[in-house]
Amino acid sequence: MLANYIVRRILWAIPFLFVMSLIAFALIQAPPGDYLTTFAATLAQSGDVVDQGRLDALRERYGLDQPFLVQYWKWITGVLAGDFGISFEWQQPVSVLIWERMALSVTLALSTLLFTWAVAFPVGIYSAVRKYTLGDYVVTGIGFIGLATPNFLLALLLMYFAVTTFGADVSGLFSPEYQNAPWSLAKLGDLAAHLWIPVIILGMSSTASLTRIMRANLLDELHKPYVTTARAKGLSEFRLLLKYPVRLALNPFISTIGWAFPHLISGAVITAFVLSLPTSGPLMLQALLAQDMYLAGAFILLLCCLSVIGMLVSDILLAFVDPRIRYQ
Amino acid sequence: MDRRHSLALLGGSCLTAWAGVPALVPLARAQSADLPPLAERLPEDAEVVTPIQGVGAYGGELRFGLRGSSDHNHILRMVGPQGLVRWDPTYTEVIPNVAKSFEVSPDGREFVFHLRRGMKWSDGHPFTAEDILFNVDDLVLNGEFAPTPPRYMTGGAPMKVEAIDDLTVRFTFTEPYGDFLAELASPLGQHPVLYAKHYCSQFHPKYAEDIDAVVRANNASDWQNLFAQKCGDIEIPSRWGNPDKPTLDPWVVKEPYTGGATRVVMVRNPYFWQVDTEGNQLPYIDQLHAPIAQDVESLVLAVIGGRIDFGLRHLDAPANRPVLAQNREAGDYRFFEAAAVGGTNMVINLNLTHKNPEMRELFNTKDFRIALSVGMNRQEIIDTALLGEGEPWQNGPFEDHPNYHERIAHQYLEYDPEQANARLDGIGLDKRGPDNMRLMASGRPLRFQIDVIPTSQPEHIDMLQIIARQWADIGVRMDVNALERTFFYERTSNSNDHDAAVWGGQASWVPGEIPQQIVPIHHDSRWGIPWSIWYKTGGKEGEEPPPSVKERMRLYDLARGTPDPEQRREYIRQIADIAADEFEVFSVTKALPSYGIVKTGIVNVPDSMPSSWYYPTPAPVLPQVWSWTS
Repeated sequence: MLANYIVRRILWAIPFLFVMSLIAFALIQAPPGDYLTTFAATLAQSGDVVDQGRLDALRERYGLDQPFLVQYWKWITGVLAGDFGISFEWQQPVSVLIWERMALSVTLALSTLLFTWAVAFPVGIYSAVRKYTLGDYVVTGIGFIGLATPNFLLALLLMYFAVTTFGADVSGLFSPEYQNAPWSLAKLGDLAAHLWIPVIILGMSSTASLTRIMRANLLDELHKPYVTTARAKGLSEFRLLLKYPVRLALNPFISTIGWAFPHLISGAVITAFVLSLPTSGPLMLQALLAQDMYLAGAFILLLCCLSVIGMLVSDILLAFVDPRIRYQ
Repeated sequence: MDRRHSLALLGGSCLTAWAGVPALVPLARAQSADLPPLAERLPEDAEVVTPIQGVGAYGGELRFGLRGSSDHNHILRMVGPQGLVRWDPTYTEVIPNVAKSFEVSPDGREFVFHLRRGMKWSDGHPFTAEDILFNVDDLVLNGEFAPTPPRYMTGGAPMKVEAIDDLTVRFTFTEPYGDFLAELASPLGQHPVLYAKHYCSQFHPKYAEDIDAVVRANNASDWQNLFAQKCGDIEIPSRWGNPDKPTLDPWVVKEPYTGGATRVVMVRNPYFWQVDTEGNQLPYIDQLHAPIAQDVESLVLAVIGGRIDFGLRHLDAPANRPVLAQNREAGDYRFFEAAAVGGTNMVINLNLTHKNPEMRELFNTKDFRIALSVGMNRQEIIDTALLGEGEPWQNGPFEDHPNYHERIAHQYLEYDPEQANARLDGIGLDKRGPDNMRLMASGRPLRFQIDVIPTSQPEHIDMLQIIARQWADIGVRMDVNALERTFFYERTSNSNDHDAAVWGGQASWVPGEIPQQIVPIHHDSRWGIPWSIWYKTGGKEGEEPPPSVKERMRLYDLARGTPDPEQRREYIRQIADIAADEFEVFSVTKALPSYGIVKTGIVNVPDSMPSSWYYPTPAPVLPQVWSWTS
C-alpha cells in the first residue's frame, strides 16, 4: 500500500519536472534581449563600450539567434546526458560552477531547518503549557518581531553593528585563510563558526511562525477529554504531554519540510546577497540578471528537484506519523 | 578545479630599500621557486618611472572591492591595459608603454614600434615581435576567431603588420589614421600584445596538433570557447580566470576570478618591465586582494570598516559621499578626486529618427528643441536634485580644455518660459487640451516618454521629474520611463522604439573617446540610432542621414585620420560648429567630479585623476608605484 504510493509519487515527479524545466527555460528567456544585450548594457553602465560586431558574432556562435524550442531542446537533451552546457559569462562548463555552491546552499538550508525545529519545538510547548504568563508574553513578543522583520534588513543591521561597534566582518562563510583552501576538518570547523549568523537570520521568521503553530495546536489538544482522563489516572504531567498532544501537534512540522526547503533556499537569496555568502543564491540571481541561461537553468532545475524531493519526503513521513492520512 | 593553499598574509608592510624584491610570494608555477637574478628578469631598457612623491617601499597588499557580476573591467582598470602605448597621467598625450618608442610616418599611414630588449612575459619567456604577429594575424584579423574590430581597419581594409626584426614592428594602413595611437592606448586597444604566443597557441587550430582533442579534454564547445576559457579576451571575466596564462601586467592572477569565486588575489609579476628612479623593480605592493561583494552596500560598509584600501568604481555615487566622508577617520582613508573629463552626465536625446512621422517631424523642428531647453529652470534642478552642485551647461569640454567650444556649451541655457511658450505657439502647437496641455496638428495631445536607467545614476530620475514639472508649465507633457538596463538597451540602441532617452556625454572629444552627442556614430547616440547604423555599416543598413549629419560623419573620418593634433582639433571644431547650429541635443549641467577613497598610509596616489573608461582610471596614474608607508 505505502510502497505502491511511493512509487506512484516518484513516477508523477518525472512529467512534473519536465514541465517545470520548460517553464523555467521560458521564464529565463522571457525578458527582452539575451545574454549579449545584458553584457553590453552592463559594460556601458560602467562607462565601458563593447564592440557591436563582436556581439553579433558571439550571438550566432552561442545559438542565441535560434528559435526558443530549438534552444530548449538543445539544452534539455544536454542535461539528460549530464552536460549542463557552458556559462556564457564565465566561459566555463556550468557543472564546474554549481556543485559546491549547491552543497553550501543545502547545508545552510538543513542547518536552518534543524535550528528552527530545535528552538520552535520546546518554546512552543512552553508557551502553550504556560499560557498567558509573563514567559509566554515575552516569547510571543520576540516571535512577532522575528516574524515581522525582513531577513535582509536583519542581515544589514547585524553587519552594520558588527562593523561599527566590534570592527568585525560578519559577511561570508569562511575566514580569509580558508576561503580557497581545499576541504579539511579545520575548514569545516571554520564553516561552522560562520554558519550560525546566516542560520539565525534565516531561521528567525520560520521559528517564530512554527512556535505559534505549535502553541495553537497544542492548546487545541490540551483541553480534549483524553487529556483530562489521563490526568485523572495519575499520569505525570511531562509524560502526559509528550505521549499524545505533542505527537498530534507535530503534524505541521513534518508537512512543512516540503516547502521549507525551497522556501529557505529562495528566501536565502537576498540574505546571501547582502552577506556575500558563497551559496547558490547570489550566483543564480546574477545568472538570471545576466540572462546567462544555461547557468540559471541548471540552478532552477536543481531547486525544482529539491522541492519535489522535499515534498515526497514530507508526504512519506506524514504517512508514517499520522494514521489518518489516506494513500489516494 | 585545482585549488591552491592560500598564503598567510604578511601583516603590515616591510620597509626595505634594496633593489631586489623581498618576500617574493611563490607564484602558481612550478619553476617559480628558483627565479633568476633581477638583472636577468628585467629588460635591458626597462621603463624608468618617476613616482610623484618619491621612491616607495616594498610589501603589503592593496585591497579593492569587486562586485559579484561582470566586474572584470575593474581588475583591468587596476592592473592597467598594458598595451603598446598608454595615456600620460594628465590624459593629454599618448606615451610609450610596452613599446620603448614609436614613430608615425608624416602621412599617418605607417606606425613603427620598437620593443624593449630582453623583455619577458610573466613566466620568463621572451616577449618579441613574433607575439605581436600572432596576436594580429592569427587572432585580430582572423574572422573565424572574432570579427576584426573597426579600430584595426581603415576604409574597409584591415591593417597590415610586419616584423622588421625581432624588436621592431610596423603597422600599415591604407588611409591616414592619426587616432590609431589613441585607440591603442584605450583598454580595447590591447589586442596586439594581449596573448603570449608560446602559451595561447596551444589552443589555436593553426598551431595545436589535435585541436579537437584539446577542446574535448577541456569540456569546451569549440576552439573559440576553449581559447576564451584559457586566454580570455579584453573584456570578459575569463581573462582573469586562468593563473597559468602569462601576461605583461604588474600583477598576475593567483586566485582567479571565476563564477564561484569569493575573492580574487593577484601577486607581483617577477618579470615586470618598469623600475623606479633608483632601479627598484615595480610594483612596490606585493599583492592585490579583491574580495567580491554582491551588494554595493556591503562594499560601502567594508570601506567604513577600513577593509578596503582603494575604491572608486561602484562607490562614487553622490548618495554615498556623506557616509564615506563621515567615516574617513574611522576607516583611516582619504578622498581623491576623479575629475570629469568635460561634458555632462545627462544629455536629453529626443529621437530625431522616431518611427512615428508626426513625432519625428516635431522633434526635428529646431524651435521645439530650443523651447524645451529654455523651458528648463536649470538652477532649480541643480539646487534641488543635485544639492546645489553644478553649473548650467549644454555639451562639450570645459573652459580649460583646448577643445572648448563656447557656443555648444552655452547656447539656450537661460530660463525663459515666455520665449518657450512663444516658440511653441509659433510652430503650430498653440491649441490646448482640457488639461492645458498642448495638442499636436493632428489633434492628439502632445506627450512623450523619456527612457532612463534608474540604477546607474539615481539622480537622473530626480532631475527628470523636476524637468517634467517645468515642461508641464509650458504645456508639454513628458513621462519618465524608468527601465532595467538591458531592456533600456534593447528598446533604444537595438530597436529604436523610444521617444526620447537620456545618456551621458562626457566625451572631451579627445582621440579615442567617442563624440556621440555631436555626431551620431555610436549606439549611445540615441538621437539618431538608424543614422549611426548607416554610418557603421557603410550605408548598407539603417537610414541615410540628412546632409548636415553626413557632413559631420565625413569630418569625423578626417579627424580620425589626421596625424596632426592641431588639424584634428580643427576638424572637431567644425563638427561642433555644425552641431551647435543644429542644436539636436541638450543638457542640464556640467559633469561633476566624483570622489574615490584611498588609505592614508598609501603614497604616490595623485590627489586628482581624470575619470574615464578610455583612460582608464586609475591605471595611467600607475598603481604599481603606490606604496605603503609604515
